[in-house]
Amino acid sequence: VSRWRARAVRLVEWLRRDRVDADTDAEIQAHVDHLTDEFVRRGLDRDAARRAALLEFGGVERAREAVRDRRGLRPLDTLVRDVRHAARLLAATPAFSAAAILTLAIGIGANAAIFSLVDGVLLRPLPYHDPAALVAVRELLPPSASEPGADRRIVVAPANLADYRKARAASGLAGYMPVTRSFSGAATPERLVGEAVTPEYFAVLGVAPLHGRTLQSSDAASDARVVVVSHAFWRERFGGRADAIGATLRLDDEAFEIAGVMPATFQGVSQARGSAPVIFWQPLAFPPDVLANRKDHEVAVVARLAPGATVEQLASELGATAAGFGPDAGGIGVTVDGLREDIARDVKPLLLLLLAAVGLVLLLACVNVASLLIVRSIGRRREIAIRLALGATRLRIAAQLLTQSVVLAGCGAMAGLALAVLLKRSLLAVTPADIPRLDAVAMDGRVLLFTIAITAVTAVVFGILPAIQVTRSGPRDALATTGRVVAGTWASRARTGLMIAEIALSTVLLIGAALMIRSLTALNAVPLGFDASGVLTAIVRLPDSRYATPVARLQFFDAAAQSLARLPGAEAVAFGNRLPLRGGWTSGFLLEPEGGLPGAADASAGFQSVSPEYFDLYRIRLLRGRSIAPADRDGAPAVALVNEEFARQFLGGGDPIGRRLRRGPKAPSIEIVGVVSDIRRYSRTMPIDPEVYLPAAQTSLYPLRLEQVAVRFSGDALARANELRAAIWSVDPDQPVASVSTLDEVLALQQGTRRFQTFLFNVFAALALVLAVVGIYGVVAYAVGQRRPEIALRMALGASGTAVLRWLLTHWLGIVSVGAAGGIVAALLLGRLVQGLLFEISPADPLAFVAATTVFGVAALAACFVAVRAATKIDPASVLK
Amino acid sequence: MSDGRTDVLQGTLALMILTTLDTLGPQHGYGIARRIEQVSGDILRLNQGTLYPALVKLEQQGWIRARWGVSENNRRARFYSLTPRGRRQLTAETRRWERVSTVVARFLRPREQAQ
Repeated sequence: VSRWRARAVRLVEWLRRDRVDADTDAEIQAHVDHLTDEFVRRGLDRDAARRAALLEFGGVERAREAVRDRRGLRPLDTLVRDVRHAARLLAATPAFSAAAILTLAIGIGANAAIFSLVDGVLLRPLPYHDPAALVAVRELLPPSASEPGADRRIVVAPANLADYRKARAASGLAGYMPVTRSFSGAATPERLVGEAVTPEYFAVLGVAPLHGRTLQSSDAASDARVVVVSHAFWRERFGGRADAIGATLRLDDEAFEIAGVMPATFQGVSQARGSAPVIFWQPLAFPPDVLANRKDHEVAVVARLAPGATVEQLASELGATAAGFGPDAGGIGVTVDGLREDIARDVKPLLLLLLAAVGLVLLLACVNVASLLIVRSIGRRREIAIRLALGATRLRIAAQLLTQSVVLAGCGAMAGLALAVLLKRSLLAVTPADIPRLDAVAMDGRVLLFTIAITAVTAVVFGILPAIQVTRSGPRDALATTGRVVAGTWASRARTGLMIAEIALSTVLLIGAALMIRSLTALNAVPLGFDASGVLTAIVRLPDSRYATPVARLQFFDAAAQSLARLPGAEAVAFGNRLPLRGGWTSGFLLEPEGGLPGAADASAGFQSVSPEYFDLYRIRLLRGRSIAPADRDGAPAVALVNEEFARQFLGGGDPIGRRLRRGPKAPSIEIVGVVSDIRRYSRTMPIDPEVYLPAAQTSLYPLRLEQVAVRFSGDALARANELRAAIWSVDPDQPVASVSTLDEVLALQQGTRRFQTFLFNVFAALALVLAVVGIYGVVAYAVGQRRPEIALRMALGASGTAVLRWLLTHWLGIVSVGAAGGIVAALLLGRLVQGLLFEISPADPLAFVAATTVFGVAALAACFVAVRAATKIDPASVLK
Repeated sequence: MSDGRTDVLQGTLALMILTTLDTLGPQHGYGIARRIEQVSGDILRLNQGTLYPALVKLEQQGWIRARWGVSENNRRARFYSLTPRGRRQLTAETRRWERVSTVVARFLRPREQAQ
């Protein structure tokens, strides 16, 4: 105990060391004065008494040193001195310091920025009570024979939820579904994003309302029109007033009473998954037919583990429950994951890879700075040798050198953090919105801690080699070299080794970037099958309260289409239930026999209800038969078009024209009258599905809910968004016009993650290339400078400048090749890490490897050439003199 | 040592300081040094400078505390006094020292007799 006490006292003493030192001096002075008084009393005169007193005391300075050694903390004194010394040294060589600090700032800043992203998305706890106990529950479809690797996870069937609630390993299970409703209380009608949630939802998340109450079982049971609203919405619409509780909110033309307001920190679970902010929560109750069908999967489930229970316990308990459902449930299983892991599942590999890549950039920065430090320390060898000869320990000198590294890294870190703060905004701007939890990305204490940690590691990584190198040479060697300083072979070998490592690292990053570019190019080369340029689309979800029948909805869209067609520059207008790149609708159907293939009975295909202009607008080719005509209305014979894939899958490639299909045994029979070309309806990465196109005007045939319009404009379609809204509002001013965007935007959004990873990899690779070129130049220029006498000698003996140039270049390019070869091998070994992020490109894609190596080779050649050429321009006579 | 006096043994100095403060009450460094030399007669030679690191150590361990005051010579000096912890330590140290010296004495006596 007293030892710790003594340490604490010493720390306090150290902190007030000026005062303590003054006290010691005064005390010792007082002692000597007392002794002097004593000798004066014994009869000596004052001067003699003082001399006698000092003699008796036995060395004032020694006593003072001894006290100082005991007091305070000697190592801290040393540290402060070393830091000051380091700062002075750095200030004395501004060019070196600036180069090193800038290099480190880039490395550390990029890491801090990427870490803030990783932290916000992967690591930060969710804004709920005890978030570690929250889990996502999903059902698992039985393994598919045709696609063994496919994702079998699926949302839960509400019919099964009641059974799952019996699990003892969970203290509660809540279901939630995203919903959108139109809200006409604002200047222009809007779609509000909400969640329909079962009564347990708020209790499971463990968050209490800020005002009012959350939803109760009685709300769902009585189908009450109540909502809980978000803090942001409450502030915006009700100015944060308490009388918002009980106020009425009109959603989809229905009056809802506001029952409660959630706190500002709360967000819906679907919002954490990367969708738009959730504005309201409404009760979720399931109709009897849903509750009777164990195959009707439609609700996402979040659960809270019972105290002490584990994810595995809950999974096995729920698995056993699901196994007891029998054939009704279609052989489903259950999977349970931590909610945070579940949310971040899709982006985790990407983020970790980015972290690894940016870590490589930092490593490169370290290698460069280490290389610079080695050169610098060669210049300091004499000084250090003298200190070693005077008795300084190697450890002491190594510690001092490491202190310099830490000071350097610290400066780099501060500059890097400033850089990261600037980078964060740009980073978030290029980060695709479908990456979850971007709102949790922040530059705060967590990022600061991470930065301090990597800075410490960085300082050791780049400082250790130079420190070892300086202290391993004996004082005699260093002092013996007079005049010209000759680098030890150890130093030049270390630097060559660092250069090879640097080349390998940047080759890996360049290859990674090349693979990403190749992948994006391959993706963009996939034909969509339709012309997406210049098409502006919008979604208008008509509420049943005003548009109860399919005919009413058809009339609305007919009127809207006419209004849109009158817009200047509008070339074509079409509408349908789902348009390309904006979702789809799949249904089972029966192909009527006539040689129909067996097994086609439970076939399913995409069913889209489209207006006659659809195919022209999207430039989808009619291959056979006829297209949908305006005359295909209610009352006319039921007709449909199919795509090529439909004919391939269900008719063995035979001619579909004249064949008939129906959606169910009692549904109307539909004649296929034409075949159109295939399109990739969902995205470039999704397979082509068989499709059936029905005329939108045959509403009795198959009442698919019309909700989307598309307009092809000549010129910039995006600039016409407001005109499009106005045209639709001229038909009904109360309907929100949602998701107004061009197909180019939709495509860009779909490729957001790929663009993002490609962009970042390119940035990292560019940084790596610059660092490597600077590093190569530095090493080669210095080494060639060291060999000036040898070069001069060769030239004096008759070698031409070109010959010397060739000789030196061959040597250094040999070293570059070794590094590049190492990088290629490393990239091949690391390939499977990026495999999942590449589209139809092998991680060993030869083109990417050749391209990256070529780029690197040219840059390295240039760096070597510039560094070597200067050496061949020397005048042999002046060097050899 | 050349002049026949013995250097203060490591560790015993602390005990002497504590005893001095126990006997004389609060004392400054000079007073403690004089007292140790007086008590030991001419047997012990105290290098007075070495007193101060020892005082610092005792202070850090919380056995003594220091306060600025005015000496009998009318000079400012730091006065050291025992803390309650220091008093306990003194008791413990005294007991330990007595035990050790008894044992050492037992070892030494037969040799003296043999002479």
